[in-house]
Amino acid sequence: MKLAVVVQRYGADLNGGAELHSRYVAEHLARHAEVEVLTTCATDYITWRNELKPGFEQVNGIPVRRFPVSRERDADDFGRRSTQVFEEPHSIAAELAWLRSEGPTSPSLIHHLRRHGDTYDYCIFFSYRYYHAYHGIRVARRRALLVPTAERDPALGLRIFGENFRGVRALMYNSYEERALINAVSNNETVPGVVVGVGSEVPARPEPQRFRQATGIEGPVLIYVGRIDENKGCRELFDYFERYASRSPGLTLVLIGNPVMPVPTHPGIRPLGYVTDREKFDAMAAADLLIMPSPYESLSMVTLEAWALGRPVLANGRCDVLCGQCIRSNAGLYYKSYEEFAETLHTIVSNSALRAALGVNGRAYFDTHYTWPVIERKYLDMLDRLDREAPGQENRPEPLPGWLGRRRRDLLPGRQVVERLPAGPAPSAGGSQYSSDS
Amino acid sequence: MAEFNIQADSVDVTRIMEQIRQRIREKRGTDYTEQQIRELATVKVERFLDPRHVRSDLVEHYRQLEPPAALEPISNKRAGRAPGPAPEPVEFDSHTIYMSSRGPMGKLIRLIRKLLNPILRLFFNPDPVVLALARQGEINAWMLQILQQESDLAERVTKQFERAGAKFVAREELDALNFEVLNNLVVEMTRLSLDMKNHRMLVESVAGRLDFDERRARALESVVQRRSPVSPAVADGEVDESTSSTGSGRTRRRRRRSRRRPQTAETQGTGTDNAEAAGTVTQSEATEPVPSPGTATPPGDTAAPAVEPSPADLQQTPSPDAPDPDSAPAPASVSAGEPAPAPVPSIQGPSDVPSPAAAPATERVPPAAPKRDVGPDEQ
Repeated sequence: MKLAVVVQRYGADLNGGAELHSRYVAEHLARHAEVEVLTTCATDYITWRNELKPGFEQVNGIPVRRFPVSRERDADDFGRRSTQVFEEPHSIAAELAWLRSEGPTSPSLIHHLRRHGDTYDYCIFFSYRYYHAYHGIRVARRRALLVPTAERDPALGLRIFGENFRGVRALMYNSYEERALINAVSNNETVPGVVVGVGSEVPARPEPQRFRQATGIEGPVLIYVGRIDENKGCRELFDYFERYASRSPGLTLVLIGNPVMPVPTHPGIRPLGYVTDREKFDAMAAADLLIMPSPYESLSMVTLEAWALGRPVLANGRCDVLCGQCIRSNAGLYYKSYEEFAETLHTIVSNSALRAALGVNGRAYFDTHYTWPVIERKYLDMLDRLDREAPGQENRPEPLPGWLGRRRRDLLPGRQVVERLPAGPAPSAGGSQYSSDS
Repeated sequence: MAEFNIQADSVDVTRIMEQIRQRIREKRGTDYTEQQIRELATVKVERFLDPRHVRSDLVEHYRQLEPPAALEPISNKRAGRAPGPAPEPVEFDSHTIYMSSRGPMGKLIRLIRKLLNPILRLFFNPDPVVLALARQGEINAWMLQILQQESDLAERVTKQFERAGAKFVAREELDALNFEVLNNLVVEMTRLSLDMKNHRMLVESVAGRLDFDERRARALESVVQRRSPVSPAVADGEVDESTSSTGSGRTRRRRRRSRRRPQTAETQGTGTDNAEAAGTVTQSEATEPVPSPGTATPPGDTAAPAVEPSPADLQQTPSPDAPDPDSAPAPASVSAGEPAPAPVPSIQGPSDVPSPAAAPATERVPPAAPKRDVGPDEQ
């Protein structure tokens, strides 16, 4: 079996969520099939500038074929078109123009799929919202699997993506909340789908004392891992933590990740910047709990890593995925206001028995659902299922409207569409329409 | 394929979150949002506590509205250019152009003009001119009539507007008065509302105190009943004046309480076990209260004497040094119209064990004072 993993960026040193996800999947599926990665020459997701050479190379033993990006992203144009399709009634032509503006526009990659797509048994596309996934799925529909990595953002409400959600052979979801969103926006319940997620490489024996000795941090530790960004909820986190620390001093907030916003100067806040994986896992093992303040997450691998290390999680309850994960795992609490933040944080920090119980649940949850054998098995089962399906059962392609139809301004703003979608954590497995893998 | 639910027996995140939210609600008192709490915090409670400072902004709101412009009197006289009298209309017909104002010569001139008329017609036809001028004269007369009618109508409309303007002026003054009345009503309603709340609290306070006193009285009575054996004299229906005096404090309380309650036949029957005692009470109602002598009235008995002892009664209560209770007049004889002794308490305890509070009073009262004043209720 030959598989193509199609992703917008790819590299051993790229730590973006979907990119890392795709690399992990490619490397693990390579144990069971012949895997080739199709990607662009870009490494910067802001500009999509061609920084790597086009052509063929190996990354961690995986063959990677790179295609150049035909044009970099124009930030002004992209912002203008985003406003048009997210906030105003618009047309399909406007959505397609927005997609071209977003990038990474790589016609050669699409051309390769059109010419040589038959050489792959299946093509696994990552991130529904980019140029490569939209046009790649349209030319390789009969063998396309999609890992949407969708969040509750206005792009999900664009009309053009609904056809792809309905047209692929299968969808590999990250969470039940993601599946509920996509089902609601595209009515694709008939398309085979499974909630998979992604595994993580967690060291068996991290050394928390090494972290404490290196940093000199004593007492209870609250840790955040990820880009320090306002979009990740860090401003709210700093505000809440400072208010909490003014009443209950002694707690240290450790920040791991590159800051893209100013970190407040506070004796209880310790930004450590970018650290190695070993240092990261040592710090997570030394922490009493992980805080995940982001309101938009499709999975949060860091959360899974914390659970793998037996650490409870305090998550932003406004993120449906994190809230649902906490409820399903019984391994974390969540907050939606400062009062809840303070109470939940105090509950976890002050109650060691609860902390230990949440950690045990987290580890069990990770072992049950997010170890790599489980993830690989879900992928292989889905591929076997597709192999067994009779030919011709794939969904028929939905052609775009004609020239005039594409320019009819009758589409609702993307944000308005998303706001109408069901919200909140998806019902637990076994009790809802989303409970079983279809 | 494995499902995404782990049933942890010891930890249920949903329940923990419910408990945490419950704790937050208890701390807040109710589940307000932060915005609501801020709004509540900005409300000045003092405004509602002192009704004198309560002033509705309704009046200011009305006053800030743009008042209608004052009505200007309507006049048909333009300033500085009063039109003069209307000119007289000129009648014009086919003979007018030949007429002359020179008297007798005028007739000759008119005749000559008529004779020369054919010559005139050689130069132009005067008939259309005559016709137009005649028609114009008619039109002028007609317009004058219309103008006169319109003028009358305008005059009537002006008068109506002047009356409406006067009404508007009166209405504005009335509106100001209405606004003041409205404001005063708001203030008064607020004040009444606060007064009502205050009175409600006072009533509740008084009711609470009354309830406390009643429970205290019952407790004291029950204590005394438990400690004191039944006095034989009281048990035989005889009244011990010294006993009544020693238990004066409790007696007074019981009588006050009993006065508040209407005496029904049922309660009277409850208080008097035998017919004689009942009859005694009935006869003494018009004169003075006489307790049922032979019964130990239970706490809260409503058959206690309905007359509150006057201060003189209390002062003239016989002391323990008074004559033997057996020699005291029987209640029946007292009710015959003579001044009665102080009311006898229904309870038995104080006859044997005078209360410390009652002892000094008995020392102040001279022993030989059998006759007492009649209280105002007994007159």
